[in-house]
Amino acid sequence: MTTTRRSVLAGAAFAASFALSPAFAQAPTEIELFFPVPVDGQLARDMATMIKEFNETHPAIKATPVYTGSYDETLIKTRAAMKAGKPPAAAIMSANFLLDLKIEGEIQKLDDLVKADGKSNDEFMGQFFPALYGNAVIDRSVYGVPFHNSTPLLYINAEHFKEAGLDPENPPKTWEEFAEAAKKLTKREGDRVTRWGVMAPSNYDTGGWLLQALTYSNGGRWFNLDYAGEVYYDAPSTLGALTFWSDLVTKQKAHPPGVQAGGAVSAAFLSGQTSMMLQSTGSLTYIRSNAKFPYKVAFVPKNVRNQVPIGGASLVIPTGVEEARKKAAWTLITWMTAPEKSGWWSRATGYFAPNMKAYDLPDMKAFMAKNPDAQVAVDQLAFAKPWFATYKTVPVRKAIEDELQAVLSGKKSPKEALVAAQKTADEVMRPYVEQTALKLPTN
Amino acid sequence: MADAVLVTGMATQWRVAKWRPRRTTLLAFAMLSPSLLFLALFTYWPVVEVAWQALHNQQKIGGPQVYVGLDNFLKLFGDAAFRKALANNLVYAFGTVVPSLVLALGFAMALAKSNRVNTLLRALFFLPVLIPLVAAASIFLFLFLPNVGLLDYHLAKLALSGPNWLGDPDVALYSIMGLTIWKNAGYYMLFFLAGLQAVPADAYEAAILDGAGPWQRLRYITLPYLKPTIGFVLVIGLLNVVTQVDHVFVLTKGGPSDSTNLLLFYVYQQAVESYDAGRAAAGTLVMLALLLAITASSLRTLERSFGEREA
Repeated sequence: MTTTRRSVLAGAAFAASFALSPAFAQAPTEIELFFPVPVDGQLARDMATMIKEFNETHPAIKATPVYTGSYDETLIKTRAAMKAGKPPAAAIMSANFLLDLKIEGEIQKLDDLVKADGKSNDEFMGQFFPALYGNAVIDRSVYGVPFHNSTPLLYINAEHFKEAGLDPENPPKTWEEFAEAAKKLTKREGDRVTRWGVMAPSNYDTGGWLLQALTYSNGGRWFNLDYAGEVYYDAPSTLGALTFWSDLVTKQKAHPPGVQAGGAVSAAFLSGQTSMMLQSTGSLTYIRSNAKFPYKVAFVPKNVRNQVPIGGASLVIPTGVEEARKKAAWTLITWMTAPEKSGWWSRATGYFAPNMKAYDLPDMKAFMAKNPDAQVAVDQLAFAKPWFATYKTVPVRKAIEDELQAVLSGKKSPKEALVAAQKTADEVMRPYVEQTALKLPTN
Repeated sequence: MADAVLVTGMATQWRVAKWRPRRTTLLAFAMLSPSLLFLALFTYWPVVEVAWQALHNQQKIGGPQVYVGLDNFLKLFGDAAFRKALANNLVYAFGTVVPSLVLALGFAMALAKSNRVNTLLRALFFLPVLIPLVAAASIFLFLFLPNVGLLDYHLAKLALSGPNWLGDPDVALYSIMGLTIWKNAGYYMLFFLAGLQAVPADAYEAAILDGAGPWQRLRYITLPYLKPTIGFVLVIGLLNVVTQVDHVFVLTKGGPSDSTNLLLFYVYQQAVESYDAGRAAAGTLVMLALLLAITASSLRTLERSFGEREA
């Protein structure tokens, strides 16, 4: 509805600008930016502030921020707007949707715009953390510009650590130490658990991301970075990761059974119902402003190596945005992702700034000195790799999340779960595989 | 036979009074035209589009929609997730409509007499109806929160630990059903309160004189008189269980492992998450057929029970 009304308004404004064109020969190029707010309402106001500043400094362009709900809803609304022939000039998209959008031909290559600025793709992407390339550059072409990003982190309650005789300055680094600490931190009254050692969200979206993090930490690859039709669900590294998570529930009995939703996990951590949690860096600001106890953050513990996937969102230009608006959108995008704005947005939201140069600015240095936990998140970036993205990312991800949830509820063994997940995922990706890797000469 | 006679009768009447009915018909259509226009634009035309989409799908990735015949339907029924959603919806329908109906009837009978206390209680039972389903689901999110939620908080005082209300595949659907019953019982109560007004007091008096106990009065007087109301509430209830999934969206997104996935949410997933417009349209048509069947059969029962009372 909002989209329709807005398009009507935009249409009216467009018509009006024609009528008035003799008077205002230099009417500003009107562009819309679709943006999601994955966390809370404050971000919507921050975005309005940012765009207002852009409009004041760029009189030739009039950008309008359009709040479009969550990441998923932003995707829906962008697609709806495109179908109606009124695509927004730019949109902030969940970074792992870019591959899907590219395959369906719904977003544009930005190479010519990069070139017009006198840069090569490598030079342009070079300003961002290398971990972010994989979800923005597809087939050597730039399709998205990283805007705000995250990684999973280990959060610990320092008070509980002391109480259990553990050193809060030394959070668990390996799975061995992790499981040991989780066991020690769990408290029971008879059969009833009054405090869990660890919790990790296993709801749709987050569950797959965290299992990917554990698989990465176990030396795995999870998906084929270079080909959209392959995932490695039924693989030893994934089996180890899923079994580890499942063992925390059944063996160490330090993690509650069944599915835990992301919000419930943060709430449990804040109320002292769990001593540790695996959660996004995106929750850092929320935890920082609400925790009534000393907490620490650390890298996700490893079994084989330190490695986590990124999360977050990129700026894209949908297909069908024509020359003047496309250029205006590019001006907005490069302005929003330059070091200064990147850092400002990072401090306002808790996401890290994708632009590495943002961390050289004095404002950012002062902020990092005051909040050493934010520094841990940035340090872990050195060990970060791309987020899971395939043909039809969401159903392929759901294939393993359904199985993860069955395992955590004690309905399936990890091995049979992974075999089933692999089968479902292969089925979803089959059309793509048949039209690409298995499309062979017929004679 | 009777129908045929009726039709011929009308036809002759039509021919005799040549101009009058046409003018009234015109007037009727003129007065209906605003709603007909909007119905056509926002209901009938979309139905036509959905029907078209159900027979088309993308063959080539990123390519145009092409005619695929009944392929979408075959894939739909071949999808285990769809069958699961269908089964869940049956459990959900039976498990919410029957208890809400019984509760609503109980509330209505208990609060049928108008006095100040009853008015207050009626308002209290009706309160959940005023809360939008999304808001209600958000409230229940906190009730169901493991360990810290209201339910677990009180259970902990009794040294009990509740199940993982929304995270256990064996429990989650029932938790959601609890919310639905809580939300709808008060609404249905309203219809029963109205229905009870139509039960003549002398019927009860006669029954009491004949020595009928409370159970017999319910069985032989109240329920027969309430038949049309029950039929009506049944339709509303069944339509609700198919068309309302806001709480599934807020609470579980169909999880864990599809255990709370309902038909409409499945269609949403196909359209939005899988980006499979063809299968989503096929699912929509199946739902539409189901809704039409429910409505048609229930309305017929409804009319029959009205007829019984007339006779």
